[in-house]
Amino acid sequence: MARMKFYCDAERCIECNGCVTACKNENEVPWGVNRRRVVTIKDGERGERSLSVACMHCSDAPCAAVCPVDCFYTTKEGVVLHDKDICIGCGYCFYACPFGAPQFPEDGAFASRGKMDKCTFCAGGPEETGSADEFRKYGRNRLAEGKLPLCAEMCATKALLAGDANVIADIYRQRVVNRAASSLAHGVELQRQKFRATPERERTRTRGSEG
Amino acid sequence: MRHWWVWVWLCLGATLFPPVHAAGPSTDKVLNPGAELWNEVRGRQAAPATTQVQGRDSQVLVNEWGEHFRDYRRQRFVRYSGYLLAGVVSLLLLYHLLHGGLEVTESGRKVLRFELTERIVHWLLAGVFLLLTVTGVVLAFGRFVVLPWSGPEVFAVIASASKEGHNLFGPLFIVALLWFFVLFVGRNLPRLVDIYWLIRAGGMLGGGHPAAGFFNGGEKIWFWILTIGGLAVSTSGVVLDFPALVEGRNPLVLALVVHGIAAVVLIAASFGHMYLGTLGVKGSLEGMKSGLVDEAWAHAHHVLWYEELNRKAQAESSAREQGQ
Ligand code: HEM
Ligand code: SF4
Ligand code: SF4
Repeated sequence: MARMKFYCDAERCIECNGCVTACKNENEVPWGVNRRRVVTIKDGERGERSLSVACMHCSDAPCAAVCPVDCFYTTKEGVVLHDKDICIGCGYCFYACPFGAPQFPEDGAFASRGKMDKCTFCAGGPEETGSADEFRKYGRNRLAEGKLPLCAEMCATKALLAGDANVIADIYRQRVVNRAASSLAHGVELQRQKFRATPERERTRTRGSEG
Repeated sequence: MRHWWVWVWLCLGATLFPPVHAAGPSTDKVLNPGAELWNEVRGRQAAPATTQVQGRDSQVLVNEWGEHFRDYRRQRFVRYSGYLLAGVVSLLLLYHLLHGGLEVTESGRKVLRFELTERIVHWLLAGVFLLLTVTGVVLAFGRFVVLPWSGPEVFAVIASASKEGHNLFGPLFIVALLWFFVLFVGRNLPRLVDIYWLIRAGGMLGGGHPAAGFFNGGEKIWFWILTIGGLAVSTSGVVLDFPALVEGRNPLVLALVVHGIAAVVLIAASFGHMYLGTLGVKGSLEGMKSGLVDEAWAHAHHVLWYEELNRKAQAESSAREQGQ
């Protein structure tokens, strides 16, 4: 059985937020909730990179470990899903998740947390597959239709990849090899300048101050 | 190989003091761009990254506390509080089986111990406390002790009722706690006799009852555990109830940790209090129910208070006589 994974290639992501919009539209996600977000580090500096993140469907999921009502389950494709009928909106999963994936719509008088919402890898939820209830609570079940998550399908630069872990890993490996080859063609100096997250100048300075 | 130990020292030296050139950065080392990027991501928790999405901690790419929280909750909090609570219950049970409760032969004459307001506030606080304990325990341990035999559907109802109930009664607890404090703090200030009482463990080590005032040393300790622990659960509870008060996720994790530890300490201490108030010292419960206690009970457990009562009564009657 395939094991589903996301991969975001920071060398390709151009922070267009297409994936965020695609997800919100396809799944009709509740107000105030974004299941996916694009984070840019070193915005406007040299070495700036952007990454699109959502639930990474952990093999040993921390969210599931801390949930007081044990409402998470992993599908046979390795997708981590949860049952909104059981969730009490306590927020513990959000504290444990490495990627801040669980989101909470505001609910009730004091804007307290509603039931948790997160990326489902476009695989719906525990309701009957393709039912109206499933769509209302969890969004589209594209996996059941033989399609991959829309965020990745939509990605213009193919930075965001989704699918069988082995296939994704192969594609990425190939990219790394090609990049190494092209930078070798441009010379080692270029490679050093271009891929470093910290500019050469700063590096030299720190080294100097260390003596 | 007569000098094998020379080799040992050389190897040790090489590991402890590596050659200088290996430690310094080499100019022609090519860094792995992927690894560099992730080092930046993980090390940049404090420095701002940016995102278009506006949510709690949305700009944080990797949540560094996540694994600590998971480890704390599963490996420490749930386990050790389980041990503590089970341990306290078994100790109390053991004590009761071996020693039994204290009892005094009643004299039949009653004295007033608690006014009506005092009793109402006590039971308000106790009632809310019990509700918060039951609902809080469901949140913390229900997954391990209730869910296995109730099944997920039934547990979902119990758990969400617990959460809603806990969130609603929390603020009431704060009101009751403050009111209780105002009513009782005067009689709970530490005195020298309390230390003597505590050294003698309230007479549990034998040698009869050590003297005590209105409240004895043990009761005063419970009062202060309740006050300090109560303030801790209240402040952290308010943060958990109204997450909008704080920014980001770490203050909430901190509040939850403080809340859990303080709550478990309070619950463990309350077991002791409830045991002593009912089975442990017979006649105590009567005082909190009707307000009246037997004179013999007052003399046995709170002799300094009893003497003071008598002195006051005498002063009053002589004043009345003089007035006539
Ligand atoms: C006698 C006093 C109290 C006890 C024994 C108690 C106990 C507990 C326990 C055991 C938990 C679960 C902690 C965990 O799962 O790690 C909890 C959670 C919580 N408590 Fe309390 N608590 C008390 C007072 C309060 C007060 C005064 C408030 C608010 C003003 C409050 C609000 C909360 C909230 C909001 C949570 C998180 C649960 C959620 O959001 O679903 N608690 N409490
Ligand atoms: S919600 Fe977070 S912890 Fe849970 S599977 Fe997704 S990424 Fe992992
Ligand atoms: S918010 Fe819901 S899914 Fe998350 S830990 Fe709490 S009960 Fe579980």
